[in-house]
Amino acid sequence: MARPELAVGDRVERLELEDVWLVDPGNRREGPAGLLVEHGRVVDVDWARRGSRKAPSVVVAPGFFDLHAHLREPGGEDAETIASGLAAAAHGGFTSVCLMPNTSPPIDRPEGIARTLSAAAASGSPVRALPYGTISVGREGHALAPMAALAAAGAGGFSDDGAPVDDPELLRAALTEAGALGLAIVEHPEDRLQTAGAEANEGLAATILGLAGAPPAAEVAAVGRAIAVLRQVVAEAPAAVRPRLHLTHVSVADALALVRGAKAEGLPLTCDVTPHHLALHDGWVGGDRRFAWDVGSSPWSGGPTTAPPYDPSTRVTPPLRSPADALAMLAGLEDGSVDAIATDHAPHRSIDKDVPFGEALPGISGLETALSLLLLAIDAGHLSLATAVRALVVGPRRVLGRGLPERRASSFEAGVVADLVAFDRGEGWSVTADALRSKGRNTPLLGRELPGRVLLTVADGRVAYLDPGLD
Amino acid sequence: MTPAAGATGLADRVAWPNRHLLDVDDLSASQLEVVLEQAGAMAAARGAGTVPAALKGRGVTILFHEASTRTRVSFEIAARSLGADVVNVAVASSSVTKGESFADTLRTLEALGAHVLVLRHPRSGAAELAARHFGGHVINAGDGWHAHPTQALLDLATLRSVLPGERLRGAKVAIVGDVLHSRVARSNIWTLTAMGVDLWLTGPAGLLRGFEAWARALPSDRRLTITTELDLALRDASAVMALRVQRERLQGAGAPSEAAYAARYGLTEARLEACRPDVVVLHPGPLNEGVEIDPAVAAGPRSLVATQVATGVAVRMAVLSILCGCHGQA
Repeated sequence: MARPELAVGDRVERLELEDVWLVDPGNRREGPAGLLVEHGRVVDVDWARRGSRKAPSVVVAPGFFDLHAHLREPGGEDAETIASGLAAAAHGGFTSVCLMPNTSPPIDRPEGIARTLSAAAASGSPVRALPYGTISVGREGHALAPMAALAAAGAGGFSDDGAPVDDPELLRAALTEAGALGLAIVEHPEDRLQTAGAEANEGLAATILGLAGAPPAAEVAAVGRAIAVLRQVVAEAPAAVRPRLHLTHVSVADALALVRGAKAEGLPLTCDVTPHHLALHDGWVGGDRRFAWDVGSSPWSGGPTTAPPYDPSTRVTPPLRSPADALAMLAGLEDGSVDAIATDHAPHRSIDKDVPFGEALPGISGLETALSLLLLAIDAGHLSLATAVRALVVGPRRVLGRGLPERRASSFEAGVVADLVAFDRGEGWSVTADALRSKGRNTPLLGRELPGRVLLTVADGRVAYLDPGLD
Repeated sequence: MTPAAGATGLADRVAWPNRHLLDVDDLSASQLEVVLEQAGAMAAARGAGTVPAALKGRGVTILFHEASTRTRVSFEIAARSLGADVVNVAVASSSVTKGESFADTLRTLEALGAHVLVLRHPRSGAAELAARHFGGHVINAGDGWHAHPTQALLDLATLRSVLPGERLRGAKVAIVGDVLHSRVARSNIWTLTAMGVDLWLTGPAGLLRGFEAWARALPSDRRLTITTELDLALRDASAVMALRVQRERLQGAGAPSEAAYAARYGLTEARLEACRPDVVVLHPGPLNEGVEIDPAVAAGPRSLVATQVATGVAVRMAVLSILCGCHGQA
């Protein structure tokens, strides 16, 4: 599908994608098809008649939407910039990225939103940057940030990510205030009383490695409390207030069970999981390099390992959990209790990672490996392609409510602005420092060969990423 | 190959797995026998005044980010008696801040001629990190709660001295105390179960957290039993090892004070009656007499604490000579 006339940043004047596997989550349809894009818009979708031969290995889907990324600008430009982060997003097939406001200074004033948006525009990337504002002033958890002004400046929602809202009264006020604006509160569920000093998930790996454990109950407790606060806000809210609570990076099976219950009750609650919590597990901290679904009944239990233990790139918050938790997250995607897959892309400088495990800054650089981890789960039979795409495209849009500035199509129909990713399921790529567009090379997948090479990403009708091999 | 190791011949027959000693989790019984034989040879050579200058011209740097006297001095004596040039670096743990400086420190020490780095660090995994930055041999002298390989090896050598040959296999050994925060306990789990010891861990439930799952995950040929009942752990034991307890860690662990701990888990002469008549008592030191161990026990005929200290030097000589004699696979 070489198209030499395509150049990054340019509008797609003519692109004919023939004999691809088209996934259209908006219309809940997938199958062999052809797609014609002209002047930045889809002009023809040609679903092949049934009974055609082997499924094509090139998949075309709507551009992915990441609800959770740290692009570090301002203040952490050595780790990532808005420009490098958006380039990483495009390489990963993402055409919209929500930016966490835990920068330095944090985005707690409308000027910060404006600055972020202008930096994104200046980057030249057609990938949409959607900044969140903070929930509290300075992310300190005391006073509410000026939410209405942040929303007016373009905030897509509110989060104090990395710093959970410990004070239930503040969470209550935030849900009410954001609810009046039609925006979501994106909460990082963690009971910090239980995680002080923690280095890894409390479990077998931490026991053997002598690492201080973060008990799964710390997440369960925080999720339970947030749901209780949400229930109260919903009960007392005036009709004009539509509170929305989104729990990000849920990682514990019992916490997801609480989410499932609250959704069944009808509460306005959504949640996301990260690709690393779906595919990896706490054995990775000890050097185990099997994926969660391959562990079966023989968890990592020390001794000779396939990689050196204590790789700081496996230190992340929430910590990599048990294989059973990862499988529960995968099941949650299929049964709909998980709404979205979000990367929690957290790039760090190597000097902030090249320290003893417990001192390493937590986080995994994840925008560029998300698709590959999901394909591994799909190939292993633990996830369907349709579910994965739905959670990368449709789910995130539902989460944000009025925070979505304009409608970008999550379906393929003649006339819609082209916003898509084309990737080859059958072709691998090597996760090397050179291959990554992010400045953050902090991923335990570095050095591996992964399935799913992204060939082309088109955002808002323009080329966002083009595989160098296709130039 | 050093003269002493060459003399035993065992080191030639059993591959040493690594150029470092970071952990003991992957050492087999036959590899442990290599260390024991080499330690025996070193102890004999010390007694006869015929210690080989195996490390002559080699730099051994002892870098401790945590207070310690006995381990540091033991390594220093071991390295000096093998003819090494020893450099002692003490770092206040409060000055350990950025990895940049830790990695830089290691590179600097290497440039200054360190062939062997003996590292003590308050963080689990620090020795693993050091091995990524240091071109020579890294010996883990204790990292966080994780591992204390030479302590476990000297404990093993001490036990072997009273339970020679096959008598160690199947013998019951009990470790008593704050297992959760103990690198000594973790390393002893690997070495003693590898040698076929019937190992029991006991202490307040809050300080045994997670170890039941570890016991279940071990291969079936390794015997590890967890109990909060001291009497069960001591019954017919051939050896008992008391761990040092720290007051702040007893809070919330079912033994709110040192006195309460001593009443439940302190090793006394009366309690040792449950053991075999020839039971021996070990302690990695420093001792809290009257807390985890009664002064009469510590100073009594069953105590092997002094043997542990003396054996420690020979074991560390053995480790230094094995690592420097065999560069192995990186």
